[in-house]
Amino acid sequence: PVESHYPPSCLQSLTIAIMSPPSKRRRYSLEQGRHPPPSEHQSHEEDAQVLMAEEEEVSASSTSSSCFPLSSRSSSPSCSLLPSTPESVSATGSSFTSQSTQISYSPSQAIATSVSGNSDEGSISQGEESQSILQASPDYEAMLREALDVKVADVVQFLLLKYQKKELTTRAEILTIIREYQDHFSVIFRETAECMQLVFGIDMKEVDPTSHSYVLVNTLGLTYDGMLSGDYGVPKTGILVLILSIIFLEGNCVPEENIWKALSTMGVYAGRKHSVYGDLQKLITNDWVQEGYLEYWAVPNSHPTRYEFRWGPRAHAETNKMKVLEFWAKICDSDPRAYPFWYEEALRDLAERAQSSIATETTTAMY
Amino acid sequence: MQCGPRRMSVMTDVHRRFLQLLMTHGVLEEQDVKRLQKHCYKVHDCSAPVEKLEDFINNINSVLESLYIEVKKGVTEDDGRPIYALVNLATTSVSKMASDFAENELDLFRKALELIVDSESGFASSTNILNLVDQLKGKKMKKKEAEQVLQKFVQSKWLTEKDGEFTLHSRAILEMEQHIYETYRDSVKTCSICHSLLIQGQSCETCGIRMHLPCVAKYFRSSSEPRCPHCSDYWPHEIPEVFNPDKERESSTSKPNKTSSRSRQH
Repeated sequence: PVESHYPPSCLQSLTIAIMSPPSKRRRYSLEQGRHPPPSEHQSHEEDAQVLMAEEEEVSASSTSSSCFPLSSRSSSPSCSLLPSTPESVSATGSSFTSQSTQISYSPSQAIATSVSGNSDEGSISQGEESQSILQASPDYEAMLREALDVKVADVVQFLLLKYQKKELTTRAEILTIIREYQDHFSVIFRETAECMQLVFGIDMKEVDPTSHSYVLVNTLGLTYDGMLSGDYGVPKTGILVLILSIIFLEGNCVPEENIWKALSTMGVYAGRKHSVYGDLQKLITNDWVQEGYLEYWAVPNSHPTRYEFRWGPRAHAETNKMKVLEFWAKICDSDPRAYPFWYEEALRDLAERAQSSIATETTTAMY
Repeated sequence: MQCGPRRMSVMTDVHRRFLQLLMTHGVLEEQDVKRLQKHCYKVHDCSAPVEKLEDFINNINSVLESLYIEVKKGVTEDDGRPIYALVNLATTSVSKMASDFAENELDLFRKALELIVDSESGFASSTNILNLVDQLKGKKMKKKEAEQVLQKFVQSKWLTEKDGEFTLHSRAILEMEQHIYETYRDSVKTCSICHSLLIQGQSCETCGIRMHLPCVAKYFRSSSEPRCPHCSDYWPHEIPEVFNPDKERESSTSKPNKTSSRSRQH
């Protein structure tokens, strides 16, 4: 899926792995691309890109001036390269250029990266670059590197807490943690983001560019496995995806009665214990709402109060309409394209996500 | 996605999901950890055989090392169940407790912790903890409020309660072992068998050495006449039974009589 913008940080970590002095952190290596995409995904991706290109030509060309490449899926194989010599950095850089579709990545920036020896991908300001040349003495570098490593570890631990509590974090909070190294915020931030992604599979997505607040989302898809509510019964993720499908197919907002009607075809009724699934009422109207997968809204001015379900923020973060449509199509033994109305909406959703992840990458690169 | 032969440490989606879920649970018993591991393999459609848990975790830990984080294995003090938690190794100001509780609440925990470490039994009574409410830093706290805070600690698995007395949850022991050693250097107790931190245990009445209950169980497993390893005097206490995971799964209803008086504390 487009929102796992994995490849750009691949290049960064390769750069860091090569350029920095032996540091304990860089022991993790990258596996050969994450999920080898099945061919259907490839074509959805292309559809989405076409849609994006048609609708957003202006912003696409303006983002090409930013030095942060958003590579298409075809460039993910480049991440599996583990060059052992610095020369290979620019080689990787240029392979990016040839493979990235809409955004250009100038070779001079790749060279600047290998020369300055820090993880900036060319978006370094003049001031930073001259500073890094001045302070290039090995002792200072080593000490700084060590101190920054510790700070990155601190920020990672802080972010893990935030992730567990499902809270947003802000730039200000992170600055408080790194304290005297605030000048190195961009480096620390970037390395932290990489670490979170590569080690924990958690992405930092900017929610609000004005207040610089971030949400921490899981890039692996739905994490719910039924263990959280202490429930060791049959995994109920299937029911969750079913409900998310129904909500999507009925226009992103569905009255509660419709959900129960659909579930009744499976023999599941509110308030009655099902032999396999148990009592789902609490799970659907309370637990999954708390987990952030569903939103349960009271319809205003309804007597007796009626409720509606929508996707919750965690559902939006962990999955997307296309995946859900594919699930539904599989159940009906057909193909997402057989539902043109929803297929288009799912494509638009993918395009929007791609657009916002470009925006995130661009703003991140500017720190 | 690599699930095959181990070269250097490789983080795959299987490992990442495992970490995420372990983090979410806080602390897990070994059989749940194994379930979790299998679940992660299944979710990512990994056809490779599930790696031995020890190796799986060692792999992850070698990557986490530079972040001062570790998947740590411990053993519950009361009945010897193996448990795992993701712990911070660096004692910095960023700790799990510090972000969840207010200043006066943290101080209440510190006071309770001190009483627990100093006590003979490893338990501090609710009354004794609440009597220290006036000495807390930060906003003034009433006893009623303190009772609720103590319950919050129990719910978030920092303390466990038994008959109105509080001791450290096994998770807290895993997370805070280093901190406790440093802070209570003089009063901290250690087990003579495994040499790690001891909160609850049995002690020899003659020479005073201490052992964890599961350590006692293992050490005296097949002796008819248990004697203190240090002074050879008769061991005066009831010998608990060694935790046996297979036995647990079979007899889910009946518990061995020797451990029936002790409640599951996590």
